[in-house]
Amino acid sequence: MTVARKFRAPNRLSMLARANGGMMAKDALAAADAALEPLRAESLAVLDAALAEIDSRFGKPAAATRGDGAFQDLYTLALRIIDVSGFLPGSCVDQAAISFCALVDTCSEAGAWRWEAIDVHINSLRLLRTADLNPDQRRAVIDGLNKVSQRRIEDL
Amino acid sequence: MREPLHASTRINLEKVEVLLVDDSAPSLNLLSQVLLGFGVGNLTRADSAKSAQTLLRERTFDLVISATNMAGVDGYELVKWLRRGALEANRYLAVILVSGHTPPSHVFKARDAGANFTIAKPITPKIVLERILWAAKEDRQFIECETYLGPDRRFKNDGPPNGAKGRRREDPPQALRPPGAQSLESSDSEKAKS
Repeated sequence: MTVARKFRAPNRLSMLARANGGMMAKDALAAADAALEPLRAESLAVLDAALAEIDSRFGKPAAATRGDGAFQDLYTLALRIIDVSGFLPGSCVDQAAISFCALVDTCSEAGAWRWEAIDVHINSLRLLRTADLNPDQRRAVIDGLNKVSQRRIEDL
Repeated sequence: MREPLHASTRINLEKVEVLLVDDSAPSLNLLSQVLLGFGVGNLTRADSAKSAQTLLRERTFDLVISATNMAGVDGYELVKWLRRGALEANRYLAVILVSGHTPPSHVFKARDAGANFTIAKPITPKIVLERILWAAKEDRQFIECETYLGPDRRFKNDGPPNGAKGRRREDPPQALRPPGAQSLESSDSEKAKS
């Protein structure tokens, strides 16, 4: 029989965070937003570079060699887009990249690439990043991508 | 239900020792800026789980915020290791995992590794501060058994069934369900009567 022990552990974070002084949440949030601002240009450059690398290694221009790529490499590149996409609120770039991760996950599980689905994700990411779309159009792109990424290889 | 963030809530992170772990430099920079904005006075950055393990063997921290997807040792393995292999004073730390892709299976994996909370990227200052406050108000007990060491994975405690006395020391004296709400057991017995 498994024996489980249940106990209260000291929470040092709790004791320190309650100390006198500090700041109000609204001030902390404003200070964090201000601290993030200098990273905006650099972060968007990271996003564009990740998108360009995805295209050059896993997009149509690399049709002859992309089959040799590793699932984990593409997954990591899509995660890099998610990391910095907070600077594009409302663009849905983050959601497209999340759908991309889900797609790569299913490819990895099945051990097979779905190139058409990957091309659709690359094109959509580029569209969401650069085109002047309204919120409904962006939503429609994401709904379409989610349908694509949620299809399992055996359903095709 | 955890309390949402209120504008007037006060928090003092000046003396909190925070360890931030991520092998993605842009992500590490963003989180660092957010924490510095919150007034964190002692922030240590680690660019891999391996370096974090070295630090957790040598120094005491009060909060760990780590990415999940990292090359080599990932965030889930880091938390599992921390709960058993870190410096004794670090084993019961509040741990928040940050993940770019969080399907339910990954959230369960984080929970089963012993993390307190998970945050989905892209990070927003509001969610990060809210989770830090939740971690500071954490009142769950720790569970240690052969396969798990970490905060109690059950978030809800409705207390014993209506009319029954709790068997555990921490059970409240009576059921915590809102007035009018019935436990499964009592509604079943009502049906049986009718």
